[in-house]
Amino acid sequence: MGHTIVMSRFCRCDRSFLVTKCRPAGTVKRVVRPPEKESSVLAKATKKVRRKKKRKAVSVSQSDAANGKPSNRRRKRATAQSMAAEQRSISVSEFFTKNRHLLGFDNPRKSLLTTVKEAVDNSLDACEEAGITPEIWVCIEPAGTKRFRVTIQDNGPGIVKKQIPLIFGKLLYGSKFHRLRMSRGQQGIGISAAGMYGQLTTGKPIKIVSKISKRKPAHYFEIQINTKTNNPEIHNGRGEGEDLPKDSTNFCERKGILWHSEIPAAEEEGTATPLISGTMVSIEMEAAYKRGKGSVDEYLEQTAIANPHVTIHYTDPDNGHSVYRRSTEQLPPEAREIKPHPYGVELGRLLSMLKDQKPPVSMSQFLTSSFSRVSPAVARRICEAADVSTRASTKKIGRGEADKLYHAIQETKISAPSTDCISPIGEELLLKGLSHVVPGEFFAAATRPPSVYRGNPFQIEVALAYGGSVATKKVTLEELEQLLSETDARTCKQFLVNTFDGLGNEGADKIIKAAGLGTRQSPSKLGTKERQALHESMRHVTVGDSSSMQVLRYANRVPLQFKMGDCAVTRTVMSTNWRSYGLSQSRSSLPTGPVTVMVHMASVWVPFTSESKEAIASYPEIEKELRLGLQAVGRKLGVFLRRRKNIKQEGERRSIFLRYLGEVASAVSQINGTDRQGLYDQLLRVAERKTKEADTKLDKRGKRISDEDELYGDNVLIIDAPPIPIPKETSNGDVQKELFDEGASKGTVSPQTASAKKKVVRKKRKVVKKKTAKKKKAKKKVARKK
Amino acid sequence: MAKRKTAEKKTVSKKGNGKPKLTREDKKTLGSLKDLADGVVSVAGRSRAPHLEIPSRSLSNVRYNQSRKIIEMGSNRNRRELFNLSQAKSYMQTLLVGSGCKQLIESGKTTSIRGLYYMLKHTIDGTKEETFDDQGDCDPVIEDLEVTLDALREELHLYASNRGNLIGDLTLVDLVMDPAGAEPINCLTVGRNGFSIPSIVEPNSIKFLKCGAKFILHVEKDTVYNRFVEDRFFEKHKCLLTHGSGQPPRGVRRMLFRLHNELKLPVYCLLDNDPWGYYIYSVIKQGSINLAFESRRMAIPAAKYMGLRSKDFERCELNNSVTIKLSDSDKKRIGQISRYPWFEKKKMWQREFKHMLSNDFKLEVESLINRDLSYVTEEYVPQRLKDRDFLD
Repeated sequence: MGHTIVMSRFCRCDRSFLVTKCRPAGTVKRVVRPPEKESSVLAKATKKVRRKKKRKAVSVSQSDAANGKPSNRRRKRATAQSMAAEQRSISVSEFFTKNRHLLGFDNPRKSLLTTVKEAVDNSLDACEEAGITPEIWVCIEPAGTKRFRVTIQDNGPGIVKKQIPLIFGKLLYGSKFHRLRMSRGQQGIGISAAGMYGQLTTGKPIKIVSKISKRKPAHYFEIQINTKTNNPEIHNGRGEGEDLPKDSTNFCERKGILWHSEIPAAEEEGTATPLISGTMVSIEMEAAYKRGKGSVDEYLEQTAIANPHVTIHYTDPDNGHSVYRRSTEQLPPEAREIKPHPYGVELGRLLSMLKDQKPPVSMSQFLTSSFSRVSPAVARRICEAADVSTRASTKKIGRGEADKLYHAIQETKISAPSTDCISPIGEELLLKGLSHVVPGEFFAAATRPPSVYRGNPFQIEVALAYGGSVATKKVTLEELEQLLSETDARTCKQFLVNTFDGLGNEGADKIIKAAGLGTRQSPSKLGTKERQALHESMRHVTVGDSSSMQVLRYANRVPLQFKMGDCAVTRTVMSTNWRSYGLSQSRSSLPTGPVTVMVHMASVWVPFTSESKEAIASYPEIEKELRLGLQAVGRKLGVFLRRRKNIKQEGERRSIFLRYLGEVASAVSQINGTDRQGLYDQLLRVAERKTKEADTKLDKRGKRISDEDELYGDNVLIIDAPPIPIPKETSNGDVQKELFDEGASKGTVSPQTASAKKKVVRKKRKVVKKKTAKKKKAKKKVARKK
Repeated sequence: MAKRKTAEKKTVSKKGNGKPKLTREDKKTLGSLKDLADGVVSVAGRSRAPHLEIPSRSLSNVRYNQSRKIIEMGSNRNRRELFNLSQAKSYMQTLLVGSGCKQLIESGKTTSIRGLYYMLKHTIDGTKEETFDDQGDCDPVIEDLEVTLDALREELHLYASNRGNLIGDLTLVDLVMDPAGAEPINCLTVGRNGFSIPSIVEPNSIKFLKCGAKFILHVEKDTVYNRFVEDRFFEKHKCLLTHGSGQPPRGVRRMLFRLHNELKLPVYCLLDNDPWGYYIYSVIKQGSINLAFESRRMAIPAAKYMGLRSKDFERCELNNSVTIKLSDSDKKRIGQISRYPWFEKKKMWQREFKHMLSNDFKLEVESLINRDLSYVTEEYVPQRLKDRDFLD
């Protein structure tokens, strides 16, 4: 080191010292420079420094001179007055136009999903509130490059003419915000924001048709939002909208809308029933359509699981139709609206509630009438604790007394809020829904008793499926090709991981290796043979053990598809110890194994982390209930897995003994000449006696139904032979439909065959497309050659 | 039992093709083997689960006998059960080794432990499993059988590979090659490597006739041994020179034991100055932990440690570059050795260990060559012998 440092210093100063470079380090250190040379070197160095200083000084003075004038000329700084001129209120719509990502419109693909989601959620809410079994049409049509027209229609109660523009053309306008009642929608932003997004990206108005009764005709509106004022503007019928004529087909075609005036029959031969009431909304927007994880298809599928009473007619952009048919006619029990619970009220809220009492009432009356679970006796106790008279008027309660009152409420024992405001899915339907969609060997469900966070009642339901095949095995070659053509992943591995839920990196690696593809190969450039190889390996490679647990999250029956990491559900699943239930799990991550967990939180107010409603916020009370629910199904899974393992192990044990018995017998007979066979038989008898425990357990298995039910507890479904992975011909959606059809019809020709026919048609079209594409390519090649 | 034994022996002699003569030891071993097998039969007859009681061969079951100054085996025993998942295979292997040894004894032949491994290795009927996966599977089972039957390896007609040579003025007869004892071997005249010490050196196979040596110098490795041979050290100092290629095998240890006890020759050890050298000395002197049951017939409590010593770096004025830095495992091993009960109370040794740790290096015997090629034979060892400067 010393050597090099010395060298570099010398090199710069004097070239004659370059010679020392070849000398070993030791010698260089001892080199004594001739005195006169040293001085000259020093002199040179100091000169240089001086020169530099001068230059610097000059430049400084120059810059001073240059900067001096502009600083005098600088714009006058803002004053309080000038700032006041610019200060004004911000309209909600302006705010959300700028911050549309908060509402789930951050990218074209997600925007499409959010739009469908908001509209479907609203429809379901409306139908349930009106007591109508929901029938929903979802249609996505391409409308030019990167544009889609999204149309959603329901058979709900419809919307009064006067309210339509406000509901669809004004942000934060709705019926659900001010009440405490379990519903999918909460704020009154969703659908109007979707309309605003459409308007922002295409400039086209949002189109609405609504019919409220048999006698009245359907009414048609074209609405745009004035983002400055957050108010709707009606564009057709001179600001009044217009009625649909009796024969609406012509009118609809002209306006570019889809209005289903009758509900198709569930059975092929049944007659369609005319639509009594309903609402349709159509939005044209910039969007991207892609299947796979986080897609509209996935959302509809998951919605169908959690809402077994809904029928959804879905038309995708490729004009493929699929129907998710309801498996029960019964609507979920109607959720009642409740008053806030005293525990959940903050001081500020209490103050404003006291203020709002007009005319003022007595304290006792106020407490009993504006809160739930407060009887006159409880009110008296609160007032006593707060040192306030029960007869005191609300007008006279000051801040200090309110503060006392607030603390008194926290200390008084008040029973938990009534829970009939929540309608859980129910364990039976959970099991049914999950077992229809996820093929597996073991299903368990648990519903926690209702609980309260911040005074809001909520309930957690958990269902779990173990075993069966993963998403990769269900895909047909045709579907895979479609997925491949739609993906924007750069490598095959990325494609597999992004498209298929629960398939970890390891699984993807396995599949790619089995298919003989390169890891960095682009999925869009795969040849036909390579695609076939990929499909084959996807079907045959077992990725069950390496795949991580799949978590399906629901809030008030709405599937949550994004922000998995932020969600209390995912976090609780990760922090729960699954190892004790027989699954492998590395520290604070999702457990691995062929497991699907479905978690539903039902509440009058679901605490989302953002307005786009993608993740549930973590409240300790919620996390606790989640954990207990997960542990309940985990225990059941543990019993199942342990039992299976025990049976397997004991079988193994016996086989190990049997394996060595022969060797032992021959060794002994060789040493002392006893009869080998005799000894072997004797040892075998001992072995049988020794492993009798295994035998008895096996015997018990014969009458296991009573025994097992006892052990597992309620709500467990065990399918002995794991179902064979979906047959080749039918696609994912078809199978689902088939399963949901179960309740409806079996003898008659099912609509499945009809859709299968459509599929065939679609195939043919595709082939034609491909051929033309090939021809084009060929032409291009010829042109190049020329 | 006794009756049965005799009955069995008859069948054996009938079976034996060349009718090899069975010695008394052979009969005893066969008897205990048969007892083992009979035990299995009688237990199975009562439909009980058969098991073996195997004396434990671990540090916890080793006791240092203060008065005899050797390591002895304790009375701890491990049960090895047939109907225990983790022991089933080794139970089977133990009996298999037993049957193999029985065949060896009956046919009057011996084989190496590797030979026995190949003899018994086969695929278990109806499975893809091998009786033994590798020799590492088989060797501990043999040792287990030795302690269980209280029979030595030699008595089971087994031997390990030959390692270790002897040179010096000793005349002996190898009764295996030369049952009549007609051609005595002088270990001075058997070439430059000397007499290769066989694995089995029991009195019934090796018989000492005459000895002109006054002491035994045991060195660690053949390289050092060759140095001494070339310098004709054994002639100048009238000694027997032995080496054991590192940790001496049983044959060498048994040979040293017999030479020491029968010919009254003192044993001096010249080993590397490292924890492994110390342990070689410890094994020669007190016996090893693994083969504690053999200490009685192998340990030489009177053996002395000549060098190298930790102080030799200064004493012999060695160069810095011949030292080897102590590794972490070396330091750990020194700690372990210093806590062995047979070293624990010896102040000289504890000082030696401390000295090595403070040196923070170890020395090989070969490092003395750095001073002079023949320094070790002409100065170092003669000086130590003259001063009687040994560690005990």
